[in-house]
Amino acid sequence: MIFPLKLITILIMSLVFQNCSSENAIKKRDGLIVYQEAQISWARNFNPLSPAGSTRWPTKCGIHEPLFIYNSMTANWVPWLAVSYKWNNDNTVLEMKTRENVFWSDGTPFSAKDVAFTTQIKKKFKALDTRNSWEYLDEVTAINDSIVQYKFNRVNVPGFDALATQAIVPKHIWEKVEDPVKFLNPNPVGTGPFTEILRFDNQIWELGKNQNYWQKGKPYVEKLVFPTFPSNEQVTLALNSGKLDWAGAFIPAVERVFVEKNPEHHKYWFPLTGHTTFLYTNTKDPLLKNKEIRKAISYAIDRDLVVKVGMYNYTEPASVTGVSGPMSVWHSPKINSLEDWTKHSREKASDIFEKNDFKRGKDGYRNYPDGSPIELEIIIVSGWSDWIRSAQVVSQNLNKIGVKTKVKTYDFGAWISRMQKGDFQLSIGWTEKGSTPYNLYKGMMSPDYVKPLGETADVNWHRFSSNKADALLKQYEKTSDENEIKEIIYQLQEIFIKNAPSIPLFAEASWAECNTTHFTNFPSAENPYGTLSPNYEHENLFLMLNVRPR
Amino acid sequence: MNRSILFLLRRLGFYLMAAFAALTLNFFIPRLMPGDPATIIFARFRGKLKPEAIDALRETFGLTDASLISQYFSYLKSILSGDLGVSIAYFPQEVSTVISGALSWTVFLAGTSLIISFFIGTLLGTIIGWNRNSKLDSLLPPALAFIGAFPYFWLAMLMLYLFGFKFDFFPLGHAYGSDVSPGFNIDFILSVLHHAFLPALTMVLVSLGGWMLSMRNTLISTLGADYITFAHAKGLSKRRIMLRYAARNAILPNLTGFGMALGFVLSGALLTEIIFSYPGQGYLLLQSVKSQDFPLMQGLFMTITLAVLLANWLVDIAILLFDPRTRK
Repeated sequence: MIFPLKLITILIMSLVFQNCSSENAIKKRDGLIVYQEAQISWARNFNPLSPAGSTRWPTKCGIHEPLFIYNSMTANWVPWLAVSYKWNNDNTVLEMKTRENVFWSDGTPFSAKDVAFTTQIKKKFKALDTRNSWEYLDEVTAINDSIVQYKFNRVNVPGFDALATQAIVPKHIWEKVEDPVKFLNPNPVGTGPFTEILRFDNQIWELGKNQNYWQKGKPYVEKLVFPTFPSNEQVTLALNSGKLDWAGAFIPAVERVFVEKNPEHHKYWFPLTGHTTFLYTNTKDPLLKNKEIRKAISYAIDRDLVVKVGMYNYTEPASVTGVSGPMSVWHSPKINSLEDWTKHSREKASDIFEKNDFKRGKDGYRNYPDGSPIELEIIIVSGWSDWIRSAQVVSQNLNKIGVKTKVKTYDFGAWISRMQKGDFQLSIGWTEKGSTPYNLYKGMMSPDYVKPLGETADVNWHRFSSNKADALLKQYEKTSDENEIKEIIYQLQEIFIKNAPSIPLFAEASWAECNTTHFTNFPSAENPYGTLSPNYEHENLFLMLNVRPR
Repeated sequence: MNRSILFLLRRLGFYLMAAFAALTLNFFIPRLMPGDPATIIFARFRGKLKPEAIDALRETFGLTDASLISQYFSYLKSILSGDLGVSIAYFPQEVSTVISGALSWTVFLAGTSLIISFFIGTLLGTIIGWNRNSKLDSLLPPALAFIGAFPYFWLAMLMLYLFGFKFDFFPLGHAYGSDVSPGFNIDFILSVLHHAFLPALTMVLVSLGGWMLSMRNTLISTLGADYITFAHAKGLSKRRIMLRYAARNAILPNLTGFGMALGFVLSGALLTEIIFSYPGQGYLLLQSVKSQDFPLMQGLFMTITLAVLLANWLVDIAILLFDPRTRK
């Protein structure tokens, strides 16, 4: 009995101390360790066209590049594989001029033909057309090696976004692929700064730099390293121990949990994205169909408290326009003379309820004019703790003005199906995104998206439509004139404020942390050249090309 | 011996029926959940994907409007031909590829810890049951019951924080280090063992008490039986009575439990996997349910079902060998 015991002890001790000596010392390393995807094992999929969610993150952030990148931190379009674009006089033909001296990572020159091919392949395989571009496109051709021409079948200027941000694939490789929908693209050929797969194992993989990259001398980092992390707790531990350099995770109480451990190197930056998280109000509900009541509910909400309790003060209360942060440039110049129902005022809220004949009963809660009690329910996805806490604050606020409200949580699948079918009263949710507030207001007010209760509506869950807004949205599609665009957005904003289709709750922020022990020059509030959060495809190229090893 | 073969065949027939029922339930139960996979993937983009694209998604995943019954028959047909379909959450990976990637790690980690835990637990139970009222007997059961009563995730996180983060004895997670490449080489094997130690230890610690207590209690009641007294009277050695007479009989309930547990190994150890970033079936199962990945769910449930049934059948055989009464 003694002998095996001894052997086991020796084995265990050698396992325990095996790595102690090597891992304790801070080693210099040339690989930037990144966390973006919550995964427990990796699947080798680098298909940039497939809409399904299992493509590895760098596919569109490092390997395949688009024609233009919208930088949401500086709110401008940056020419990338294209150098310029121009519309014809009636906005029906778009021409993009592609960049010279760009090469694919296998050495083949990049040309306008690759761009035309990438767009055409989506016509042939409809499942790849995730932005529905062929609904407004008629024809795409490469006029020569450096000019792509898009002929539109109707005027649709916002259609530019989808074409400009499309990740381009090499024609000489993809034209031989039989089914690009199911193609795994295991050895990608791209124009991006990182294209070489150095290793691919189920727990870790590495992406090396592209020796042919068109921005000479860049990137400064030799390779990107991706270990698997299934949860934010693991990410926090790894960041703190220096085994992770860059992450996009929500960390509660980030100052205490992360920064204080090493203020010199532990950094985070949670900037506002410009978008807003909404308290959705189902406008088909007998109470919430009244726009004055929706405004009253908004008045009743103490947004400072919501942000403090629900969001760790990481963000700020929403503006009545529904846009914030870098998108505030779209605020109408008349904004100060417009209504502001996002300003907390319990008196105004109560007044509106009184005026509309929703009086308090004996129990202190308000009733409908016919005497039946008002009971509201806020539905949230179970486990989304920040939103659950926010909803609890909202429900307390509403109870204070006599509107009985409770919070109920549902599994994600059940929640989304209730939202889409209109089977809810109040709920917290996200909104449509884009480079201008056009997508937001379209999602909020366009009759195109409104479906009857019980039918599936993919957006406009609150089921509000405005014909006036619709006319403006159609007008927006037809113009590329900047002043006209601004004027339309201002008018849409005024319609939004007047009708309160749903209630802006707080500004949306993005989550990102970095440990600067091994690498420097990450974007930050002081140096906001791009986004630090890895959760915005293409935009991360700014970071990847500027981060340097120490 | 003829009888025992008949018994095994009858059990086999019963298991086949059970397998068919389970496969049917595997098909229908997931489809009772509200929502559909394309919607869920679309919603996960949180406004970054155009609403017009959702039909394209449905088309990609091959979601059809065919009636549930006709879908059921084509499901049975493809299962019988060994085709588990294409996963939605890991599109366009085949379900069989996705599962096989996780299966070996689950079998290794959860299987090894179960076997270790079963053997140590049963052995300890035998020893303290034989020497009941000894010091060991009054110390071990409460101590292990105490550890077993901790919430598993708390114990695991505490161990990870102390031995992984604070003292840096063990890695913070993953199945092997970033400096080794998988394959049959000594560095990789050492790295795997080093990485598996902490997760396996936590799993053994929380389950040890159960095996030990049930063994101890059955053994004590067995020790009161007449044939044990007779064995003593015959003057057999204590060790022989303890192992060959008492323990052989007392192990039967534990053995049944072991069979059940062995089958459930394949459902993975979700919390262990998440806390230690360990690849495995548990996380896959969670992922598949979250994204309503019907093909993956069916594939996982099928492997679990078949494993449970197979393990039970093996236990039937083992009991035949251990317990002569079943052979009569």
